[in-house]
Amino acid sequence: MRKGLVQVTDGKERLGHWMLAISCLCLCVTGLGMMFQSFNFLGTMVGGLANLKMIHNYVGLIFIISLLAMIRMWWREAGVFVFPEDMDWIKAAGGYLWHVDKVPETGKYNPGQKAFFLVVAIFGALMVVTGLIMWFPSVLPVGLVRWMYPLHALGFVVIFAFFFVHLYLGTIGNPGSVQAMTTGWMEKPVLKMLHPKWFKEMEEKGEFIEYGAEPRAKETGHH
Amino acid sequence: MTEKIKLYDDSKCTACRGCQLACKQWNGLKASQQRNRGTYQNPPALAHNTFMIIHYQERVDDKGNFQWLFRKEACMHCTDAACVTVCPSGALHYNKDTGTVGLDHDKCIGCKECVAACPFEIPRYDAKTEKVYKCDMCESRITNNLEPACVKACPTGALKWGPKDNILKTAAKRVEELGGAANIYGDKYVKGTHFMYVLKEKAAVYDGIHTNPGVPWSVTLWKSWLKPLSLLGAGGVVAGSFVHYMLHGPKAPPPEGTNSDNAAGKSEGGE
Repeated sequence: MRKGLVQVTDGKERLGHWMLAISCLCLCVTGLGMMFQSFNFLGTMVGGLANLKMIHNYVGLIFIISLLAMIRMWWREAGVFVFPEDMDWIKAAGGYLWHVDKVPETGKYNPGQKAFFLVVAIFGALMVVTGLIMWFPSVLPVGLVRWMYPLHALGFVVIFAFFFVHLYLGTIGNPGSVQAMTTGWMEKPVLKMLHPKWFKEMEEKGEFIEYGAEPRAKETGHH
Repeated sequence: MTEKIKLYDDSKCTACRGCQLACKQWNGLKASQQRNRGTYQNPPALAHNTFMIIHYQERVDDKGNFQWLFRKEACMHCTDAACVTVCPSGALHYNKDTGTVGLDHDKCIGCKECVAACPFEIPRYDAKTEKVYKCDMCESRITNNLEPACVKACPTGALKWGPKDNILKTAAKRVEELGGAANIYGDKYVKGTHFMYVLKEKAAVYDGIHTNPGVPWSVTLWKSWLKPLSLLGAGGVVAGSFVHYMLHGPKAPPPEGTNSDNAAGKSEGGE
């Protein structure tokens, strides 16, 4: 890495993100192996569909822990819409769908990111609740257990679709942004373009942590 | 394929339970010890090692007459079987010759999805083997042109096994003979069951019977709508992202040196 990069995430955030991401992907794949008989071969690869079910169930536990940690860590920044600035951004679709001369500036996370956070939090919780009941169905009468399956499938429909949106916008759709979740250090111009308001706030408060000048940058910031 | 049906005629049943025993014997199922609950009915309910039972019901009709009602409870072998629809591994399957619903225990992963889906509440889970059990119409017998064990054992002719057309005719004839409230149970539900009753009384009179069984809405919503939607939705998003990348393009920061506040035409964002 080189000078001029700005730290945008800390290790805790990245660890939480990847624990959630990897467990979620693993759940999607193992779940697909059980949802579609044409994907049953995924079970064969781990020595039988029963093993796939076991992996799905226990990875689910990691997902629960990661989901709770993520919600606790990010809900203040990413879980609350701030009006009217967020509404202005939504009206402009963040400049993603048509040409916008000046995209309304929002806080650290824009409403698109907030929507993604909320979808993961809400539908993730739905997956956890329905999944646990499917694992231990004797806790509820059969008439209610029946509805856990379509609800679990609904959660999958939403999360699986949003996953690809997230993947696109976090990588090639916004070049330079993926570093936030890999090294944690982003290029200043990219950061300024994607998060102008946050950029200005950090600039004003002198909160920038710049690469190669960490201790001093921090100290001078407080002067 | 010759669809075959097992018919139970409660007016001919003496509740000898020869069928129960034959079922246990052919399927190698152990009997569990039970307590006396003040009824002849034993075991009390279906279990992972009890694929069928005869219900004993003491009934007093409108005129104050006492009456015994018997009913054989077992898998109804639906033509549109919710258990087969939801089974993730293909363990539950339609028998290609007879249309009955078989269960391959080598494939069963004990997910219990069928237990929640069955409109007749038939499949039972065994925590010890981590598999689900139910009547498979003696698949090992019927595929070798033998009748199911319960039918073989029945001494009164209350149980019959045969091609669908023949059995439906026999049932209709029997209903006519019996007259009164007699009716066929099974032909009107889940596109027709492969285990049917001729009941001497209205179905609603029988304890524990399902008067209007059908594939649950939850199963239809799950398997016919949400399941394909999951791939369509994700595929649509991937295609949409591709189109977006081609037509709108990624967001790139302005070239260095320009006033980014003015040049940031394509904005902000990024998840």
